Amino acid sequence: MIEFQQVTVTVSLPQAGRAAVARTLLAGLDLSLDEDRVAVIGANGSGKSTLLRLLNGLVLPSSGRVLVDGLDTAAQARQVRSRVGFVFTDPLAQLLMGTPLDDVELSLRHLVPGKAARRARALELLAGRGLEGLAQQSVYDLSGGERQLVSLTSVLAAGPELVVADEPTTLLDLRNRNDVADALWAMPQRLVIATHDLELAARAERVLVVHAGRIVADGGPERSIEHYRTLMTGGGRP
Amino acid sequence: MNGVFSLFVPGDSVFHRLGAGWKFLLMAVATFIGLGAQNVFVSSGLLALALAGSACCGVPVSRAWRLPWGLWLTAALLLGYQALLGKPLTGVVIAANLVMAIYAARILTMTTPGSALVDALVRGLGWLRAFGLDPERIGLAVALMVRSLPVLLDSFNQVRDAARARGRERSYFALVTPVVVRAVGYAQATGQALAARGLGDKGQL
Repeated sequence: MIEFQQVTVTVSLPQAGRAAVARTLLAGLDLSLDEDRVAVIGANGSGKSTLLRLLNGLVLPSSGRVLVDGLDTAAQARQVRSRVGFVFTDPLAQLLMGTPLDDVELSLRHLVPGKAARRARALELLAGRGLEGLAQQSVYDLSGGERQLVSLTSVLAAGPELVVADEPTTLLDLRNRNDVADALWAMPQRLVIATHDLELAARAERVLVVHAGRIVADGGPERSIEHYRTLMTGGGRP
Repeated sequence: MNGVFSLFVPGDSVFHRLGAGWKFLLMAVATFIGLGAQNVFVSSGLLALALAGSACCGVPVSRAWRLPWGLWLTAALLLGYQALLGKPLTGVVIAANLVMAIYAARILTMTTPGSALVDALVRGLGWLRAFGLDPERIGLAVALMVRSLPVLLDSFNQVRDAARARGRERSYFALVTPVVVRAVGYAQATGQALAARGLGDKGQL
């Protein structure tokens, strides 16, 4: 269960030669999520990424609390991060090592003792996604879709119970987008995904629409996506 | 992305089979001998060995020997400066030592997987625990540094192309500022990626 309790996120934006200006990214969020597949949609800059980053403590609330399975993301950040895996939009920002094998091994470093056992497990995980042939290639030589699948493999290697994905298909072509989406939907872990891809959002059990830092629609995919379409075409305002 | 330190290239060369610790040791010994001897024949000989070693890494010689032009320029400037001071042989020693050390380091990074580099550093720096330092973190930091160099060099090339496209290639401000901003952005993204995986938290790598 994920709970947002009166969460507000405010940042201070420095201004040249003037006092900093406070900007509210999310305001008064009160929400409980217990579905396995939740999508978050909204315009650029609406607060989707901030909402997702609250889930593993990459962003902390300015006021209020975020609880993941009862753990406070601010006070119990380490425990939360071991439960929550995060997939970034740009996999190159996420892949910390030079090859897929090294990257997956890094995730396993504190889970699997012994170099040989770790390497064998990493190869097994990559093979599970059909990536064994790329295990020792430079991450720079992989396609966007391959990089994103490697990122997902690295994230899942750490054994999270919840996966948070911030627009993971935005930079991908259709085939890679389908591969990554299928991989995300096939995993047993709970998923919270931010996306501009309405087809992908339609596969979720629950869809949140974020607009100007507030949840303006929350429900089944059909209703929420319709609300978002209306909002984006100027047919309605929250 | 071919930078000063190339990323790991899979292979079965003698250096691939050699343990990372031995390669670290060879690199350090060659560098210290070159610096300590201050002899043109010793430095030239070590450079020749490093070049020969690079050619035996199982990658095409054209790639193994290629270095960024900026490095050659630096070596040439060092040599030229010493020549102006009337010490051309000292210039040769300094330039040869610099290039040799870079090639020796490249042999290490081209033939050693990142995880093996981290393992070797963690083993080799275990004694630092006595001083309250965490060898795991140092190993990870070095591996990240090696991984980041190509990104930063690529960033510089992209900014240079963008500046050229606007006819601003001679403006150092236009070149340096975006590279620094991108480097800071990359560092933040890397920090977030580490945090997202729980790496760097106390007790985790």
